[in-house]
Amino acid sequence: MTWIYMGLVALVLFLVVDRCLRDRDPMTQATAAMVAIPLVLRLLRVK
Amino acid sequence: MNWMMGKERRPALLMLALAAAVCLWASRDFLAMRERDRVFPAPGFRVEMLSSYLPDLKGTGMDTEVYVQEGPEKGGTVFVLGGTHPNEPAGYLAAVLLVENAKVRRGRLMVVPFGNASGFTHNQPQEASPNRLTFQLDDGSMRTFRYGSRDVSPLVMWPVPDVYVHKPSGQSLSGNESRNLNRSYPGDPDGSPAERLGFAIMELLRREEVSVAFDLHEASPEYPVVDAIVAHEKGMEVAAAAAMDLKLEGIEMRLEPSPKNLRGLSHREWGDGTGAVPFLIETANPSQGRLRGRTDERLVKTGLDKAYLKASSLGRLFVPYDQGGKPLDERVGRQLATLSALVSAFSMFDQDRGVEIRGIPSYQDVMSRGIGHFLRSGR
Repeated sequence: MTWIYMGLVALVLFLVVDRCLRDRDPMTQATAAMVAIPLVLRLLRVK
Repeated sequence: MNWMMGKERRPALLMLALAAAVCLWASRDFLAMRERDRVFPAPGFRVEMLSSYLPDLKGTGMDTEVYVQEGPEKGGTVFVLGGTHPNEPAGYLAAVLLVENAKVRRGRLMVVPFGNASGFTHNQPQEASPNRLTFQLDDGSMRTFRYGSRDVSPLVMWPVPDVYVHKPSGQSLSGNESRNLNRSYPGDPDGSPAERLGFAIMELLRREEVSVAFDLHEASPEYPVVDAIVAHEKGMEVAAAAAMDLKLEGIEMRLEPSPKNLRGLSHREWGDGTGAVPFLIETANPSQGRLRGRTDERLVKTGLDKAYLKASSLGRLFVPYDQGGKPLDERVGRQLATLSALVSAFSMFDQDRGVEIRGIPSYQDVMSRGIGHFLRSGR
């Protein structure tokens, strides 16, 4: 079960980074970058 | 994929670089929380691991030290569990002071200061708690202890169900309680990490034929069960005698019976499933409360918060509260005094399984000299 959730985290992280790189609105970019932080920390099993 | 190219992409890359920097900075803090707090046992203690009672725990973040000291005379066994909830510092610090000061004259003492070891590696989300508490020792050196989370780490146990079903009873609780060690008993050797941890502790109580067992906790001052002993029915007389002894010393501890229908808690399942007479000791910790303001090391140590003064003046608290706050020294002293009184009362009621422990810092001593005076120096 944990690995399924880790896969979901990786997928969502990919989508968030993709959105950050595609969107031209600075607020959306900043929001996407902030949302990526907990996803990276969980994916790396830091937090 | 329609990513921006060249210069257009720079702001996004800058944002992501900043996010990466925050990840690195946060990782340093989070990873530092995995370094275990040091304990310097008093002479006579040996160290074992909880995984002796459930080998599956070995090498996981759940395994933890068991400090054991046997006295020269035969008697019963006292078991003390600190750190069930690592955001309740008086519980685990009382257990540490016990390991660093106790001298067993009769029977045996077993102490697990950091019961929920993985809970010490992270903080409770959205609580803005400090990561550490620091104490100055008499020789000027410093000792630090982590201030962790109530729950087993999500890195050990994730995801959790929406509803936690306590297997033996079928009792349903909120899903986040599945990571609460004190809802996991009697545990399950093949269950979730919290259930395995609970099972290992139950197994210790059974195999070591523990006579009297303590689970040391704290709770917010607006919670009714604070400055209290929660006793299983088989220990009610002992608890009543101890509460009276404490009252004579000027220490008020209310006596609460362990509810028969609230399952998974130490004071219920240890008593039902082992030969031990269990007690849960609860002191009042304003840094856990819902009314508190800024949650920093000062608040944890002094327990002084203006919102609690207001609440006290309105009669909303279950403990006396004034400008003196609820200092950590007082809470640790209260834990140790209560534990001592319960061991003495138990030894009076059950002389064959009695235990005599000397060297436990008294309530007055911890209050006047501070916790740091009773911590051993690593120098």
